[in-house]
Amino acid sequence: MDKQPKMRVLILDDEPIVCKRMKPSFEKAGYEVETFTDSTLALERIREQDFDVVITDLKMEKIDGMRFLSEVKKRTPTTEVIVITGFATMETAKESFQKGVFDFVAKPFKMSEILDAVRRVEEKRRAARL
Amino acid sequence: MNGLWARICGTFSRWRRREPRVPLARILKCFRSILARNSEILDLMATMGKALSGDYVFDSHFVHSSCQRLIDLTQSLIHDLNILSGQKYVDLYASLEGIRRRLDAILAGQPSIGDIPYTLFYEDCNRDWIDEVGGKNANLGEVRNVLALPTPDGFVITTRAYHEFMASAGLSDFLTQQLNPWETQDTQALEQRLRDLQRRIEASSIPEKLAREIYHRIETLGRKYRRETLFFAVRSSASGEDTEHSFAGLHRSLLNVPETEVLQAYRQVVASLFTLQAWRYRRDKGFGEHEAAMAVGCQLMVDAVVSGVLYTVDPTAPPHSDALTVSATWGLGPPVVEGNRKVDRFRVSRDPPHALLQMHVVPKTASLISQRDGGTQWVDVSEVDQSRSCLNSQQLNLLASTGLLLERYFKRPQDIEWAFDTSGQLIILQTRPLQINLSDSDICRISDITASAPVLWSGRGDVVQRGIAVGKAFVVQSDEDLKRVPADAIVVARESSPRLAALFRHVRGVITDVGSPLGHMATVAREFRVPTVVNTEIATQLIHTGDPLTLDATQNVLYRGYIKELSYHELTYEEVFEETYEYRLLRRLLRLITPLHLVDPKGTDFTPAGCRTLHDIVRFVHERAVAELVGMNLASFHTSGCQIRLLEIPVPLDLRVIDADGGTVASPDARTLRLQDVTSIPMRAFLAGVVESNLWERTPVAMDFKSFLASMSRTFDTHRVPLEEVGLNLAVVSSNYMNINLRIGYHFNIIDAYVDDRIDDNYIYFRFIGGVTDLTRRSRRARLIGEILDRTGFRVEIRGDLVVGRMKKRPRSTMEHNLGMLGALVAYTRQLDVQMISDEEVVRHVERFMELFRSLWPRPQAAEPQGGSHGQAT
Repeated sequence: MDKQPKMRVLILDDEPIVCKRMKPSFEKAGYEVETFTDSTLALERIREQDFDVVITDLKMEKIDGMRFLSEVKKRTPTTEVIVITGFATMETAKESFQKGVFDFVAKPFKMSEILDAVRRVEEKRRAARL
Repeated sequence: MNGLWARICGTFSRWRRREPRVPLARILKCFRSILARNSEILDLMATMGKALSGDYVFDSHFVHSSCQRLIDLTQSLIHDLNILSGQKYVDLYASLEGIRRRLDAILAGQPSIGDIPYTLFYEDCNRDWIDEVGGKNANLGEVRNVLALPTPDGFVITTRAYHEFMASAGLSDFLTQQLNPWETQDTQALEQRLRDLQRRIEASSIPEKLAREIYHRIETLGRKYRRETLFFAVRSSASGEDTEHSFAGLHRSLLNVPETEVLQAYRQVVASLFTLQAWRYRRDKGFGEHEAAMAVGCQLMVDAVVSGVLYTVDPTAPPHSDALTVSATWGLGPPVVEGNRKVDRFRVSRDPPHALLQMHVVPKTASLISQRDGGTQWVDVSEVDQSRSCLNSQQLNLLASTGLLLERYFKRPQDIEWAFDTSGQLIILQTRPLQINLSDSDICRISDITASAPVLWSGRGDVVQRGIAVGKAFVVQSDEDLKRVPADAIVVARESSPRLAALFRHVRGVITDVGSPLGHMATVAREFRVPTVVNTEIATQLIHTGDPLTLDATQNVLYRGYIKELSYHELTYEEVFEETYEYRLLRRLLRLITPLHLVDPKGTDFTPAGCRTLHDIVRFVHERAVAELVGMNLASFHTSGCQIRLLEIPVPLDLRVIDADGGTVASPDARTLRLQDVTSIPMRAFLAGVVESNLWERTPVAMDFKSFLASMSRTFDTHRVPLEEVGLNLAVVSSNYMNINLRIGYHFNIIDAYVDDRIDDNYIYFRFIGGVTDLTRRSRRARLIGEILDRTGFRVEIRGDLVVGRMKKRPRSTMEHNLGMLGALVAYTRQLDVQMISDEEVVRHVERFMELFRSLWPRPQAAEPQGGSHGQAT
């Protein structure tokens, strides 16, 4: 069996329901998952631990999602960021992609859509290793 | 004669009242805007409805903003209708305001106080009322009203009654002043104060209006059961009790209380909210003291022969030990619940036929029974019964299957109190989640197990209800098969159908080839929370009866074989989506949004005041908007630029046409339009289908001329026939646009299309609803139309008897071809629901129509891809 280390995923959304819904699904799919509803705590965490994928909301209290993702990309450019937001506009999407975001998913989304996005990250990494 | 005169006067005054104010261009703009908003509203409603399936991740922002958007759109809709009609429907603003206020109250988490009664019969009780009736009563309401299992009859005294009682006794202040703050260090002093509070509660009188209501409930039950005195089990059901927090044994419940003593028992149960243990439990579990409230259940006493407790998972063994446990004794249940006496114990297999794995029968010398005049007493058990098992295998089997039904529904292992009464009936007294914790290693194992399990497919179709189902497949091919579906099967069917709905109570999962995530069956799947996936396209080809399957409708993966670990994972680890605040919020809101009550435009309630939901308003506005435009034709006067003309076509379709901009070439004086006068590209294509396809003549409905007229009502002189008898058939056209509204009897059909040589702007929107026959036949016709649309490349949604088909961004030739097809389809299906007597008819008519149409009208050269269209025509 494939015994590669599990991909580490960090999920940040200030609405607990989003984290609660996503965590079990990601774990079932074989990922190591940490969830945060507080952006400052999430920021602390990315400073001590590298993640393969960061999934973040954009509009949050305290640190805004756009700033958070900039921090992530600055610290570990290899971390792929997926933005999830209920305030999707062309401008935010454009700005996200300019900041090197891997994918942009508008809420509400199907669980399979977000899992697919993470799987694409996985494939990209596998291809890069080959 | 007088009637005719009055009508002429009425028409004239209506015309005078309205005519000069709004130019036609403005009216048509309003009409188009109504149509556009109508579609947007229906789309948004559909999105919100789909969110309940569990397949979507959404947050409260989505719920709030969607509601706001719906209200804004509906407001604009009403505004446009009023411009179009000369302010005839201003009452709609009041209807909307009423709904908006209730939606706002729900969004703010405060159901308006008028909605909460002091008492509620169990038949009206469900989880929507969880804050008012407490967790225990809410669960019991679901067991009774959704799963239709026997539970004791009775009523609930709600938390509103509790707050009223505490306030009238002057105890609300006592609570805030004497007992707060929480962090009282001095236990003795706190205990003293709590005892004092309990004494005061027990001595306080109950407000008269509350007492009156309680006695009224008792009287109603007395009449129903024709008994002189009723005896009740008066049970606690505090806020949060029997949810993820059990509060087990902390609050009081009193058995066999005579009706005359219910009020006193009520006070005692309320007082038990303030024992030191209950107080500490709340503090430890993080409940705010303002959240503490006691609802009380008053249940008719069950004449129990044997009572006990069932755990659907053995809490002492690993969660996947595949056994459930039963404890039981003769008489009433407290000896089992309190655990201070020896009782019979059984371990039973969770898998059907639920074999007995282990049995431990003890001598039972005494049993607790109801006394004649109230209260309970211990009596000796006969020698024969002392040493024999108090449950037989049949009873154990029923307990096991019922317990697992409850577990599947509540998505958690259950701790169930039950009794068999003197008639041998199993009665559920209460059910609550049994907390079992999975270890981290179990969670890790899940991904390893699923990674190596054979996957039949992944991400196929639409999830209608999330969840895990493990069981044997049963492929349903005919109506006869429906009767043979074993309990605990995973049903596989060609299409979703209301007839499958009858199976939902017992089956583990449902998979279909085709179907809608919003149809009637979907509603039932969600009601029973049965994992269901539709539109997989290939299920009946890949799966055979007897195949072992695991359907993970949460990740949307279907595995071959049994993966029980997945169900245990769901039962013990994942948050129960249906119990989340956001789910309950959305469900509550949707009750004021999506149900459609105004189905009959001729009904007496088809008024602004009759609009109970946003959907009602939307329907009303649309119907009236069309009627207003058609009404202008009746008034007909040659007003400047107003060209509303009857179309002369060789089929009996009474269609009036408004030319908004270059859609026709008739002379300005002409009162009627000939076919060749129509130049609108989409309209020409549609009419070609209606007329040239010849299907009007070939329609398979045998009808006499009279009923034919009644349904189609071609009016030979529109001025003499009242509007309501002619049907409201109206087309608004311009050179590249058409909007057709057909109302034939109860059928209601809209086709909105734009066709141009520029591919990007092209679209067709087709919407069909209604019929005069029963829902099943209408649904069959909906399926027929849906299937034909699907085959011709439309993106299709079916909800009950509503069909919506959409197509976008195809070349002009394809759009014209498909508009012709729609014309032929309208001709073919206008009375077809009468014939939809079986599912075979659906298939027969689909084939017949496709064949006739293809032979008459071959596809254009630049044909589109073959087959289904999902995802293409977005």
